Amino acid sequence: MNNSRISLAFKSFRQNRMAMICLWVLGLLYGLAIFADLISPYSYADEDRNFSYCPPTSIEFFDGPKIVPPFVYQKHLTFDAMHRRVFVVDRSQKYPLHFLRGGRLIQVDAPARLYLWGADARGRDLFSRICYGARISLSIGLIGVAISFIFGLLIGGMAGFYGGWIDGILMRVCEMFMMVPGFYLMLALRAAVPENFNSVQVYISVVLILALIGWASLARIIRGMTLSLRERDYVLAAKTFGVSDLGIICKHILPQTVSYSLATLMLSVSSYILAEAGLSMVGLGIQDPVPSWGNLLSNAMEIVPVIFAPWILLPGLFIFMAVMCFNVIGDALRDAFDPMFQD
Amino acid sequence: MFKHILQRLGSTILLLLAVSFLTFWLMRATPGNFFDSLRLNPQISQEMVERYEKLYHLKDPLLVQYGHWLVNILHGEWGYSFYYNVPVTHVLGTRLFNTFILSFTSLLLTWSLAIPLGIWASLRANQWGDRLLSLFSFAALSVPGFFLAVLVLYIASLVGGLPLGGMHSPGYDEMSFFGKVWDTLLHLIIPASVLSLSSMASLQRIMRGNMLGVLRQQYILAARAKGLPENLVIYRHALRNAFNPLVTLLGYEFASLLSGAALVEIVCSWPGLGSLLLTAVRAKDIYLVMSSTLLAGVLLIVGNILADILLVLVDPRIRYEQ
Amino acid sequence: MIGLFLVQAQAASRYGGSLVEAVSSDPKTFNDIVSTDANSRVITSLLFEGLTTEDPFTLKVIPNLAKSWDVSPDGLRWVFHLRTDVRWFDGVFLSADDVVFTFNDLIYNPDIPSSCKDVLTIEGKPLTVEKIDDHTVRVILPVKFAPFLRAMGQSILPKHCLMKALRDKKFSFTWGIDTPVEQIIGTGPFQLSEYHPGERLVFKRNPHYWKKSKTQEQLPYLDKIVFLIIQDHQAQLLKFMDGELDAVGISGSDYPLLKPLEASRQFHIFEAGAAYDANFVVLNQNPRLNPKTHRPFLDAVKLSWFTNLSFRKALAHAIDKKKIIEILNNGLGLSQDGPMSPGSGFFYTPDVMTYDYDLKKAKEILKQAGFHLSPDGGTLKDPQGHPVEFNFYTANAASAGREAMSGIIRFDLERLGMKVNLVTVEFNTLVNKLMSSYDWDMVMIGLTGGVEPHFGQNVWASSGGLHLWNPRQKTPATLWEKRIDEIFNEGAQELDENKRKILYDEFQRIVAEKLPVIYTVLNMDMYAVRDKFGNLKPSVNGGAFHNIEEIYKK
Repeated sequence: MNNSRISLAFKSFRQNRMAMICLWVLGLLYGLAIFADLISPYSYADEDRNFSYCPPTSIEFFDGPKIVPPFVYQKHLTFDAMHRRVFVVDRSQKYPLHFLRGGRLIQVDAPARLYLWGADARGRDLFSRICYGARISLSIGLIGVAISFIFGLLIGGMAGFYGGWIDGILMRVCEMFMMVPGFYLMLALRAAVPENFNSVQVYISVVLILALIGWASLARIIRGMTLSLRERDYVLAAKTFGVSDLGIICKHILPQTVSYSLATLMLSVSSYILAEAGLSMVGLGIQDPVPSWGNLLSNAMEIVPVIFAPWILLPGLFIFMAVMCFNVIGDALRDAFDPMFQD
Repeated sequence: MFKHILQRLGSTILLLLAVSFLTFWLMRATPGNFFDSLRLNPQISQEMVERYEKLYHLKDPLLVQYGHWLVNILHGEWGYSFYYNVPVTHVLGTRLFNTFILSFTSLLLTWSLAIPLGIWASLRANQWGDRLLSLFSFAALSVPGFFLAVLVLYIASLVGGLPLGGMHSPGYDEMSFFGKVWDTLLHLIIPASVLSLSSMASLQRIMRGNMLGVLRQQYILAARAKGLPENLVIYRHALRNAFNPLVTLLGYEFASLLSGAALVEIVCSWPGLGSLLLTAVRAKDIYLVMSSTLLAGVLLIVGNILADILLVLVDPRIRYEQ
Repeated sequence: MIGLFLVQAQAASRYGGSLVEAVSSDPKTFNDIVSTDANSRVITSLLFEGLTTEDPFTLKVIPNLAKSWDVSPDGLRWVFHLRTDVRWFDGVFLSADDVVFTFNDLIYNPDIPSSCKDVLTIEGKPLTVEKIDDHTVRVILPVKFAPFLRAMGQSILPKHCLMKALRDKKFSFTWGIDTPVEQIIGTGPFQLSEYHPGERLVFKRNPHYWKKSKTQEQLPYLDKIVFLIIQDHQAQLLKFMDGELDAVGISGSDYPLLKPLEASRQFHIFEAGAAYDANFVVLNQNPRLNPKTHRPFLDAVKLSWFTNLSFRKALAHAIDKKKIIEILNNGLGLSQDGPMSPGSGFFYTPDVMTYDYDLKKAKEILKQAGFHLSPDGGTLKDPQGHPVEFNFYTANAASAGREAMSGIIRFDLERLGMKVNLVTVEFNTLVNKLMSSYDWDMVMIGLTGGVEPHFGQNVWASSGGLHLWNPRQKTPATLWEKRIDEIFNEGAQELDENKRKILYDEFQRIVAEKLPVIYTVLNMDMYAVRDKFGNLKPSVNGGAFHNIEEIYKK
């Protein structure tokens, strides 16, 4: 196995059209997260209760027959006889869109508000919240996987390399973590987190919880690969040349596993994103007002808002897109690297 | 073989101890116990709450409490559910059975659909049918199960015809035997299909991959070269070898029978372990949580051992020898 | 003759049919003496009855198992005359022995953790309950006790079924949810016939129920009542719209979904009025030291803010009640200022101090109290220069509305320059903080209320365990707390209802003015019920089916 085979694998990956599309989509989503401050018209916590569940604002380009710079109208919230929300468009004044003002791409002057994808119950802009939520949801998977990968690599690598009783003990520990039903372990761990943590600390603990649950299965996979690798000729050769165990693990075994585990990692990222959503669904994920796609989606668990404000389903679409992209890319990577392990 | 299983059983018991203590510790690590919620009821005296706490040794050190629990388990006494005021076994019994019905149905659905689909896809690898199926599989893998359940419930409520959650109709008790079975089956449709969708997708992918791997092997080429009919090559030779690795998977699926369905159960108001345990963890109904974790552990081990045995049965190349 | 015949023919058709309702969780027990949770009470209220009950509309005490009573002029000796036609489900007649057994052997039994003992213990002394003859019971009070008759609504349990369990010292665990249903014996209109945990409870008609309709028909009319156990409110709504449920309790936000469907899906929404369940914010004012660490439970700086009335008033002005009602309940709710709900009827007074949402005013009040904003305008500082920062706890899962409300309140407090960390915890954890560890700053929580103000004694008396802001005081910390103590003592012993009202009005005014708890909004009690039922008269006090025995299927 050498660099040329790895580059061959990447070449075959690049030929997978679906995977490349997904890579672009993921790039866009990460772009949303990185440039959230610029792209979103409001901060994630910015609320205006006069616009509770305000539908998406339409941007006007015409003043009568004339084309004018884009503007929006102000809306007023009333309730009808059935206590439904009714927004009355006030056409008496136009509020022009301002571009690149105050560090944000688009803005309008108060009291009008710009809701590209509608507002939530408290009149917060869903588009802005999805952009900021991307920061949480897209990083939780990556960081979580990184942590559990390091754990898994160390423990799985050691178990596979040494075998014998070390393998036995380490695998029993893995089994212990896999034995506790993941969802309940997650609940129990979450319940053990000090409750007066601020949102950053909660974020870190959620990541750690997900990592703690995920590492065991990764370790098993890596152990399996190490087990097969350590019998390979070049490892045996290194051993006879007196290279230290750690040296062999780090120099020869881990690099091989890393390239292959990349595929598994991608798939784990998607499962972490889903796990965060599940945790949020039972109210134990990232806490409001900080948005994550999971806690945004948990608002869509109620039938009434979904019927009257269907746009709150959008975070579900974003979770779907991100998870799908990671899955497709992971699968494509596995296909690409698979021939290396065929022989 | 026998020795191997015995060995596993031995290490298993140690493991169960470790798991149960871990759970116990987690449940007790946070302040507050079940009686705390009773304290906010203006009509209950604090003396009464404290009397209860004494009755269950909740004020004793952690290890003493754990010891009490362990001794009881060894006597076949699974502890008491504070939340429901009955022995844990009473609450768990029916719920376990309900969860088992749901999980078993979805397992059946998954395997009976995913395996043929996987074979079908592998034989048409990279044709449009395979691509469509894999796109569909990716999509199915990418929707959060609970969210899908909610969506399906909404759609079903608009379309009508299917029961919206629950396990039986209100008039279940008066139905004939076949009426009861039919009623339960109707109620199973939504949760079981939502549950099996994502596992079906992944199993289909795995089966397809295994099949493709086997079809590349030399003995298949040899068989084809010998002029064996294609059907025989595929279904006699390739299929068996592609299927073997899946047996190990079955063992793991056995374990996830218990916890995999939790969120979907909650959304579909299925009277299984999921909603029970969510409440139990939240209310810190400690013995209920402990017992179910223990059960999940036992199931996983049974599943693994079962898988080991099955693997030996289907694949004569594997032997456990020291 | 013809007229009589017609009435009977029409009435005969009232019998039969079933009603399907939902409860949000399994009952914890069928034992009404030890039960503590609302869901078990929903179930047991069909099975058991007390000597008295409340009229759901006038809220007055009316006869139930006791057909009448006499009282001595000093108000201490009461004689209850029991109905002679009441039979337990197993056919045995109700007798004075059952009443004496329920009080003396069960409620006042030191080995039985009964939740009703506190209410029935007056100044530390029990009531004396004696049998005079088979259908007459005498109750002697240690001192005058105004809510006595209401407290006699306590469920009566059958002696002949429970004596053995009591002797075996197993009563606390008897009639748990593992009991075969036919063994649960009461006097109510319906008896339990099936229980499938996590799924449903089925009740069948009690054929020898004692109540008769105005036309002397044997009640109840319905054959069967089914309670489906559905945890999730959304699932309840779906099942109601689908037709599986006949009734569902709804909130203001469900209203716009259901109201337009009334005609096409054949149901009707009953708006019973303001609910009892108050949602409020409370600040920790506990000055004591933790006996274990010898440090104060609450930081002295925070204590100085929270005990400052101006600080609490500013907070009260920062609660946007109108928008909270709009956002959470689509405008269907009431803002609450005092400690009682309009649903409580007679004892409720609207004449209390109110606090409108006005951040400018809040800022002004804070400024006058010596608080000031930092030069950048972002941080509020107290007169000594400490930045105002504290934790705001609320429970998750218990009520989604409360969590959302806390978020809204937090947002406004931040606008005042306070740094507020909103912390969502498990309900149990929150209760633990309030009741034993005392390590909290501000909490949003709720308590349920009722008609009788005295039953809130545990909250309002300064020695009460539920005196949330500063519990179990030896002597009242403030003059107004002392005055509330006096009001509750006087109120319990004042038998003239009008004089009691004057006292409790004063109590409500004090609470609204001194703001130990800052009230937010009240939901409306609403029920959607299918049109196929007759005799429906929902009330806040009894819910949609308080007169379940009279309800029939059209």
